[in-house]
Amino acid sequence: MATGNQSVPKPLILCIDDEELGLQIRGTVLERAGYRVITAMDGDSGLSLFASEPVDAVILDYFMPSMNGAEVATEMRRLRPKVPIILLSAYLNLPPEVTGLVNMTILKGDGPDVLLAKVRQVLPAGPEGAEMEALA
Amino acid sequence: MNLREFRHILRQALYFPVLLLLVLAGFFLQQLGKSSVLLRAINRSDKVTAQVIDLQKLILDQETGVRGYELTHDPEMLAPYNAGTVPIQNEFAELGKLLAGNDLQLQRLAILSDRYQIWLGLTQRILSKDGSLTTGTEVYKQGQQMMNGIRDTVNAMLHDEDLRRRILSAEAPDLRHRVFIAILSASLCIGLAVALFTRQRLRTVSRSYNATLDALEERSREVHESRQWFQTTLESIGDAVIACDIAGNVEFLNAIASGLTGWMMHDALGHPLTEVFRIIHEETREPAESPVEMVLRLKRAVVLPTHTVLLSRQGREFVIDDSAAPILDAHGQMTGVVLVFRDVTEQRRSAAALVAGEKLAIAGRLTASIAHEIHNPLDSVANLLFLLRDEDDPAKRTEYLQMAQQELGRTMQISRTMLSLYREPKAPVAVDLKDLIEGVLLLLERRILQQHIQLKSEFVEPCVVEGFPAELRQVITNVLVNAIEAAGPGGHMRVRLESAGPEEFRGAGALIEVADSGAGITEDAAQRIFQPFFTTKGEQGTGLGLWVSMGIVQKHGGTIRLQNCGQMEYTGACARIYLPTKTLASADRPVAVFLG
Repeated sequence: MATGNQSVPKPLILCIDDEELGLQIRGTVLERAGYRVITAMDGDSGLSLFASEPVDAVILDYFMPSMNGAEVATEMRRLRPKVPIILLSAYLNLPPEVTGLVNMTILKGDGPDVLLAKVRQVLPAGPEGAEMEALA
Repeated sequence: MNLREFRHILRQALYFPVLLLLVLAGFFLQQLGKSSVLLRAINRSDKVTAQVIDLQKLILDQETGVRGYELTHDPEMLAPYNAGTVPIQNEFAELGKLLAGNDLQLQRLAILSDRYQIWLGLTQRILSKDGSLTTGTEVYKQGQQMMNGIRDTVNAMLHDEDLRRRILSAEAPDLRHRVFIAILSASLCIGLAVALFTRQRLRTVSRSYNATLDALEERSREVHESRQWFQTTLESIGDAVIACDIAGNVEFLNAIASGLTGWMMHDALGHPLTEVFRIIHEETREPAESPVEMVLRLKRAVVLPTHTVLLSRQGREFVIDDSAAPILDAHGQMTGVVLVFRDVTEQRRSAAALVAGEKLAIAGRLTASIAHEIHNPLDSVANLLFLLRDEDDPAKRTEYLQMAQQELGRTMQISRTMLSLYREPKAPVAVDLKDLIEGVLLLLERRILQQHIQLKSEFVEPCVVEGFPAELRQVITNVLVNAIEAAGPGGHMRVRLESAGPEEFRGAGALIEVADSGAGITEDAAQRIFQPFFTTKGEQGTGLGLWVSMGIVQKHGGTIRLQNCGQMEYTGACARIYLPTKTLASADRPVAVFLG
């Protein structure tokens, strides 16, 4: 649901989470804020999207079956170290070797305002217009 | 000295003097014999003298008779001659016997006999008026000479005999004196010997008696000291001790026992134990069976049932741990009963605190799962509210609201499951074990998924048992978390629920089996796994999980066993929990804990 016709293309965010409903809602929030969103429900499919799409940022759930957030982040850093990664977690205290891998962490339940603020921090050249429009 | 030696000495002291006295008597007899031989010799000498005189008289009578006949030729004059013939022969024979052994005298006797025979020959010729005889005067002279010869021989014999008698008589006083001296000295010697011997023996006995007295004194001192030592030891012992006789009357109680029962030693002495040691059952408040009666009945040491409460004289109550044992004498006869007990009230309180603490620890172990399960839906709800704020499309709004409701519902379910770990009905209720296990698995689902553990649930049939759901949930959580931790990443675990038919020692019920692919349990761990503070998880575990689980299951009348299963992929431990359909548990009955 992209809006606006800016010459600058909207940033593309890759969201990975095994919770389907939560992922879907988070995507909607980000799209409402003016980003383009692609989603994946596990680490493997997330990594293949990361490899094939020009992803600008990643929002990654830590606690997932088969491959956890830290493993996915390690792989992404190997592929394209510049792409910012935000780690989502229900745990209050993740070990430093995990938090050190990513740009920032967000606690699940912090709410959309915190989420969007952090996304703006890692993507300074964000969709200002779209955001303005959305907030208007 | 023992009794045998003592008897030996007594025998010696009796027999030795008797023996010596016998020897003395023998000596007496021998000495007396000596003097009697002398007397006999004197007697014989006297007899010989008398006999010789007698013989001479008879011969002279014959001669007188013959002479008278010569003068008168009166045959009557020959009467003495004729009468003497036979006695004279007898006299000769007797003298021969009496003089046996005296050769000189025998020789003289023979001469006398010859001379007499010759005289007799002459006399025969006179009497037969032998013509060859010369004149009467010549014959007379011849007879006279012969008679003189006889007289000489007789005199010689008499003289000899007299001499002998005189010698013998002279010997007699001397012999008497010697015998007297011998007897006297022998008596003195033997008396002295008896005295010395008896003294020596008596001295031995007396020494030994003194030694025995000393030993007895020493022994009695030792016994006293040892008694004192035991008394002090019993007094100083950390446990309460009461000893009573076979009739159940108190004979001893130490300071700790005094403190707990409220009875002082001097008050309690001789009182029946049931009066001093009043015990009741903790829950029923019924008087408990006296341990003395139990010991008398079973004739062995007994441990009192748990939940025994001691009522002190002042009405205070102590939960006690008690054992009673028979006191046996050297022959194995029971002479009394000893009780050893201690106050475990504090221990019981600590145990209760541990049980409560373990409940929290279980919740702690679930925190990670719970945080995730609650934060995920909450995150969605927050996002949905954000979207709703700017959404004008009613259809979208309805959709968001529905989603929010759904997510909230999930949160509620999680929180309810978590709360049910604590909320407990007053009385046992019907618990659907399948629901209960699935509820716990819901909390653990993420953890199982994240660790890539292959979980196989086999709910063979619906099982409903009576019980306390929160406590049972705690047991199931404990066993499942243990299995997850044991299986580890990529492991396998299987949960199986089936009904169990009645068996010999248990009624119908349900069997829950949780198997994992971990390392299993060692034999050593199997021995101690249900003891408090035993853990195989180092700092991670409290060591109370299975201990409390055991208490809960036993309270419900069930059993919990842990062994290695060794089946296919389930190579690790296998927990089997049996729960009876009809529970024994009541809300008043606390979780039984096993101290030590």
